[in-house]
Amino acid sequence: MKAVINPSDRTGGGQVRPANLEVPPQLERLATGLSRLRAALGSASYPLELPSADEARRVGSALTAQLDDYLLPRLSRLDAPLLVVVGGSTGAGKSTLVNSLVQTPVSTAGVLRPTTRSPVLVVHPDDLPFFAPGPGGILPGLTRTGQSSSAPDAIQVIAAPTIGPGLALLDAPDIDSVVDHNRKLAAQLLAAADLWLFVTTAARYADAVPWEMLTTARLRGTVIALVLDRVPPDAVGDIAAHLGEMLTANELGSAPLFVLPETELDQRGLLPDAAIGPMRVWFAQLAEDANARFTVVRQTLNGALAALTPATEGLADAVDDQVRTARSLDERVEAAYRTARRVAEDGLRDGRLLRGEVMARWQEFVGTGDLIRGLESRVGHLRDRLIAAVSGRPTPSHNLRVAMESQLVTLMRGVAADAAEQAYAAWQAHPAGQVLLNPDLQHSSADLPQRADRLVRDWQQWVLELVRTEAGDKRAVARGAAYAANGAGLAVMIAVFTSTAFIPTGLEVAAGAGSAVAGQKVLEAIFGDQAIRTLATRARAELLTRVEELLAAEAARFTGLTAAVHQEAARGALLRQTAAEVEKAREELALTGSGS
Amino acid sequence: MNVAQTIPNDRIDTDELTRRLEALSRFLRVVDPYLPDSDLVAAHTLVERASGRLTLSLDHTVVALAGSTGSGKSSLFNALARFKLSPVGVRRPTTGNAHAVVWGPLEPANRLLDWVGVLPRQRFVRESALDGDDEAALRGLVLLDLPDFDSIERGHQLEVDRLLGLVDQIVWVVDPQKYGDRVLHQAYLSQFATHSGVTIVVLNQADRLSPADTEVVVADLTRLLAEDGLTDTPVIASSAKQPGMLRDLRSALEDTVANRQAALRRLSADLDVIGDELGSMFGPPAAEDEVDRATVRQLSESLSASAGVAGVADATAGAYRHRASAATGWPLLRGLRRLRPDPLRKLHLAEPVKTDSVSTDVVPRTSVPEADAAQKSAVGLSVRAVADRAAAPLPEIWTPALNTAARSRAGDLPDALDRAVAQTDLGLEKPPAWWRAVGILQWVLLTAAGAGLVWLILGYALAALGLPEIDGVQVGSVPLPTLLLLTGLAGGLLLWLLIRPIIEAGARRAGRRAEQRLRSAITEVGRVHVVAPVREVLHAYAQAREAVGVVRSE
Repeated sequence: MKAVINPSDRTGGGQVRPANLEVPPQLERLATGLSRLRAALGSASYPLELPSADEARRVGSALTAQLDDYLLPRLSRLDAPLLVVVGGSTGAGKSTLVNSLVQTPVSTAGVLRPTTRSPVLVVHPDDLPFFAPGPGGILPGLTRTGQSSSAPDAIQVIAAPTIGPGLALLDAPDIDSVVDHNRKLAAQLLAAADLWLFVTTAARYADAVPWEMLTTARLRGTVIALVLDRVPPDAVGDIAAHLGEMLTANELGSAPLFVLPETELDQRGLLPDAAIGPMRVWFAQLAEDANARFTVVRQTLNGALAALTPATEGLADAVDDQVRTARSLDERVEAAYRTARRVAEDGLRDGRLLRGEVMARWQEFVGTGDLIRGLESRVGHLRDRLIAAVSGRPTPSHNLRVAMESQLVTLMRGVAADAAEQAYAAWQAHPAGQVLLNPDLQHSSADLPQRADRLVRDWQQWVLELVRTEAGDKRAVARGAAYAANGAGLAVMIAVFTSTAFIPTGLEVAAGAGSAVAGQKVLEAIFGDQAIRTLATRARAELLTRVEELLAAEAARFTGLTAAVHQEAARGALLRQTAAEVEKAREELALTGSGS
Repeated sequence: MNVAQTIPNDRIDTDELTRRLEALSRFLRVVDPYLPDSDLVAAHTLVERASGRLTLSLDHTVVALAGSTGSGKSSLFNALARFKLSPVGVRRPTTGNAHAVVWGPLEPANRLLDWVGVLPRQRFVRESALDGDDEAALRGLVLLDLPDFDSIERGHQLEVDRLLGLVDQIVWVVDPQKYGDRVLHQAYLSQFATHSGVTIVVLNQADRLSPADTEVVVADLTRLLAEDGLTDTPVIASSAKQPGMLRDLRSALEDTVANRQAALRRLSADLDVIGDELGSMFGPPAAEDEVDRATVRQLSESLSASAGVAGVADATAGAYRHRASAATGWPLLRGLRRLRPDPLRKLHLAEPVKTDSVSTDVVPRTSVPEADAAQKSAVGLSVRAVADRAAAPLPEIWTPALNTAARSRAGDLPDALDRAVAQTDLGLEKPPAWWRAVGILQWVLLTAAGAGLVWLILGYALAALGLPEIDGVQVGSVPLPTLLLLTGLAGGLLLWLLIRPIIEAGARRAGRRAEQRLRSAITEVGRVHVVAPVREVLHAYAQAREAVGVVRSE
């Protein structure tokens, strides 16, 4: 049994300046910076499911916990006792080790895995006030109990005079058992450690999980000491050498390493004095030497502060990643709806929309002389209404409007359905987008037909109003025939779909569209060619605006899902800024003397 | 601890297993074009593995010792083999490659080990003349010592994952220190929850615990296993250091070897897992006529509008009118009628296309105008409606396949519609007999009028020249030539007036008939180009559903 203490033990303490317990102004600045960073961390969220988001959520909550549990309380009480957290795998013998160090069975040891469920804190009776619960203290989120408790987030505090004042031992739960809560609690406790006493065994020292934790601790600058427990006596040299190699390879070569051979426990369940002796001496020295203790505290504190900047930088990058992804998702949706808009625009421009039903109605309308009659006098209108009332048949102009309505509504429904499908497929192909989707988004919204219908009717109303006001001083209309305005309005609507004039194509001529040309001529004669065209241009622009609004509302069903992310953009900058402030204050404070 | 009782004794029928595997391959063949590959990887792997394993020796049982680093797999391996075959060390992790030991001659097991992927230099033979019959009970056992899965060497874990997929039976070796590790339970044991028939858990290094503690730990381990879902898995305490503590494990292995069931049981359990996984892809049975009449009618409506059926029907009516007038009109004015174009000819539809199997004529493109944006939208909407209607009762994973199927031939639709319009017999190619009769009558009347006119002119000429008059034949008080002229002219006019309503009615009827024929042709196009591909998917769904039913049958 031999304790291998690394010669380059950092706690040697010869070159360290005497502890200065005054609160310098830099400390004040650092505390302010940390509080602001804490606020910035608390407000950052990562709504999109990205590879970086999982990591960022984890790191973010770990940082928040570390600030609350350790950094803020530790900065406010630099003179608090050195907190040694004993952590490691399940079954490594942590509890036995703690019991043996304080020479009292304070923590339950046993054969069942995992054994320790609620952490046990052992402190000197004089130091008890430092670990009082409540805000501002170490680990404020955990409740203190007098005895072992199975309640989550409870910590058992035991006063033991066998431990020197200025030192506190915390027996943490395991880091790798099936009990998930244990792992989380252990990680939280380790983040609050001034010194991490990492316990592993001969069977475990190459496990992947503890090495991940060790690497995290190293990156965070925590001072680490290792205990290699349960070593078969005949393999001490071999295993200690191998572990030493592994530590050096992982840049942990300077950590003190204690080797405890597999031995029989005494009647109290403690390790025999011969085995635990060197460690107890080491801890006793540490308890007596305030400077050495303070150096450890400062080093871990400095390391934790220094690690904040790269960690926060990573979080800010994750935030940027979120914003970038949200933009790219939005871009996909916009592309889909841009196509829809263009199809609708082309459909309205190329005039072919008039064929079929609309054309037939128009011919009906013109062919029956309805238009001329309507333009000429109100009598015609009255007569039409009379006929319609008697015969129960709708007047031709009514038919025309209905046909046009259904054509436009169909067009809009078609492009909206295509766009929704395209946007859905585009998001489906993106891992972050896939999570946001719900089956409803596959189709255009359920009330789209009604809204499109409403849109067309509103637009028709608008066109009629336009014609009424624009053509108000025209003599033909000035006769006051409301019906005339109706007829002219229809004409304008139709002109909207035809860029210049009617160019009868095969089918129209075949179906006897000569009258359509005649109709156009009639209109031109009444309003003047230019006036019709101007009105048509304005009516077309108005219709397109309305269609765009409708499609924008459809696209918003997608982009609304990423809207929350865009608010994150400022948070990334805030994170970077506060982290830089903390880093500046840390350098000014020069916790480790040399400012490194 | 009587192990033999806890191992299920129901035997797996090889034929039944083969039938289920065949059903699985059938399922994969059927759904291959329709479901995403990523959801079928596990099934493909299983089919491949099962066919591999079943062609190899079923007299051998491949048993793997798996466990964490330091749990004593290699020590146990060596203790079972009674030779130091696999290196045991205090440094962690120790074993990087799998070692195998075969009880009985190596040669027949070699192909099996090639398939499993154990290097030839790491294969050992256990059984020599020296043993006598001591090891006979284990003859046929192929024992593998796997690397660990929880050390910092990632490569070990990958090797373990690969081998665990191939072996017949797994012996999980845990030790008192590590039996509650998260990686063991979450990444491994709970994944094999369905394989409790081919799983044995061994609490190794039991010599480190007192007998009382051993029982407590075994009980706790059993509880953890139950939480993982392994309720009836045997848990055996053993130790490589004390030969007496190996007896239970040894007899469990002897049972396994004697039964020759582990390989089949493993595959059967794998099939159960896959069957449950695939079961979620299926809902209620879907009839192939899931696409109902209303949806098909809507489709054919929009396709008809897009193909310009109404226009062609109108043109047909116009053509009827045109041709009827040309055939039955007053002969002197027929020429004028010919100057106006035939509406169908304008659409390039005047001559119906005759196509049969021997004809090599290309169906000419019609001049029916292309569909406008609204009509295209309407077609898109109704095609989508067909897919949606079919997808409604099916699980969501089938929706993309149905959507794709409905649109698979959308590119051919415009041409197919045009072709259908061009090939439809519009019913005008044979002029009705009465046109001819009326036409002849018109000519007769005109001839009579002409004859009357000539007679009259001749009469006047004779009178003017002072020649003797032809004896006037009188019908009543009117002379015959006058009567002929007047009756001929008036009759022609009257006839024309009389048949106009008949022509009009005929034109309407022709238009309606043409529309009907066009619509049925278009409906056929819709069936072939939209509904049929969707039905193919529904058919595949039904077949795959049946196959999965076979896979899942116990």
